Amino acid sequence: MKIEKEPISGQYGKFKIDGIDYRIYWEEAGQGIPLVCLHTAGSDGRQYRALLNDKKILEKFRVIVFDMPWHGKSSPPENAKVGNYKLSTDFYISQIMSFINGLELVKPVIMGCSIGGRIILHLAINFPDKFRALIGLQSAGHLDPYYDISWLHRQDVHGGEVCGGIAYGLMAPTSPESDKFETMWHYMQGGPGIFKGDLFFYKFDGNIGNEIKKIDISKCPIYLLTGEYDYSATPEETKSLADTIGIEMIKMKNVGHFPMSENPKEFLKYLHPVLNKIS
Amino acid sequence: MFKSLIDDNEKRSQLSIMAQYLNTSFMISTKENEYLVNIEKGVVKNVEEGPFVMPSYVFKLTAPKNEWIKFLQHTPEPGSHDIIAMLRRKVLKFEGDLHPLMSHLLYFKLLLASLRPVESKNEN
Repeated sequence: MKIEKEPISGQYGKFKIDGIDYRIYWEEAGQGIPLVCLHTAGSDGRQYRALLNDKKILEKFRVIVFDMPWHGKSSPPENAKVGNYKLSTDFYISQIMSFINGLELVKPVIMGCSIGGRIILHLAINFPDKFRALIGLQSAGHLDPYYDISWLHRQDVHGGEVCGGIAYGLMAPTSPESDKFETMWHYMQGGPGIFKGDLFFYKFDGNIGNEIKKIDISKCPIYLLTGEYDYSATPEETKSLADTIGIEMIKMKNVGHFPMSENPKEFLKYLHPVLNKIS
Repeated sequence: MFKSLIDDNEKRSQLSIMAQYLNTSFMISTKENEYLVNIEKGVVKNVEEGPFVMPSYVFKLTAPKNEWIKFLQHTPEPGSHDIIAMLRRKVLKFEGDLHPLMSHLLYFKLLLASLRPVESKNEN
């Protein structure tokens, strides 16, 4: 029987992040300009499966997606304990920089969604010369908590069920059900407390106030794209961020918080022109 | 508005599998009306429309009627498509013991969304 093989290859490697060894898993496909993609809180690199299969993009870009420590197929560190995971801004930046340096990527493009869309702002502030361009999906400078995130990690509530339920609502009713289900399924497979631990960065530690004004787009271009159905990072919040930075944002119709995963077909319509500009 | 949660239970058999150990009563309020919903083993067994004198329930979802109407469209607008989206806009309030709701969050989202019309029509 002939199978339909995808052009993606996966690999494991040991990376030193803040002096500690981490076993990291990543997938890649294509050749050319490195495009490192960052997944959302509580999920993993499978969210970018469509990009890793998009012939048009793979002609010009080497798309690379890593699972953050504790996520997907990447391991927790030695001596890890359940309940101890909390993503800080510094640790998030360190893992991205360690990954880029480890793979010896020169001036990559970084594209991140949600927490990834937030961290690209920190990268723009701290290392504007290191990147060819930064793409923020569902980016907002800060987020005030709007529900009690302690529900995401309680021993009397199944973490997969509640995290999946939260993720499901963040998607557009117009996105294809099968892609929505897969996106939700990734959330259902997350480890106990990992989504909640990531949200520490998203809702507290990673909030950016006036520091946004330090972003200099002449040093590194930034592109911001946000789905209209996202109520976590709303189009209005991305617009306010874009206005502060002095760029135009792109509002994507018919998608929510996970454009690349919940409705790849629709998302790629918006992403192709951005990547054409960058290349 | 929510009385029909009792109808078409056979169409919701997949949904009840997601909540097969759930037995609870909850209140849906539109501020004008109240609906007391009783669930046994994930199946809606009774929906009573208020007014009530001494209703007994575990948790309550309150939003103005116009917000519930927006939620119940075939294709709701952004911000009205999900109960957490409504919570975020501060038009919906969760009250009471939220454990049954949060431990079966997707079930409750899909249960309420099951009242949306299957066919799209003029939604003005």
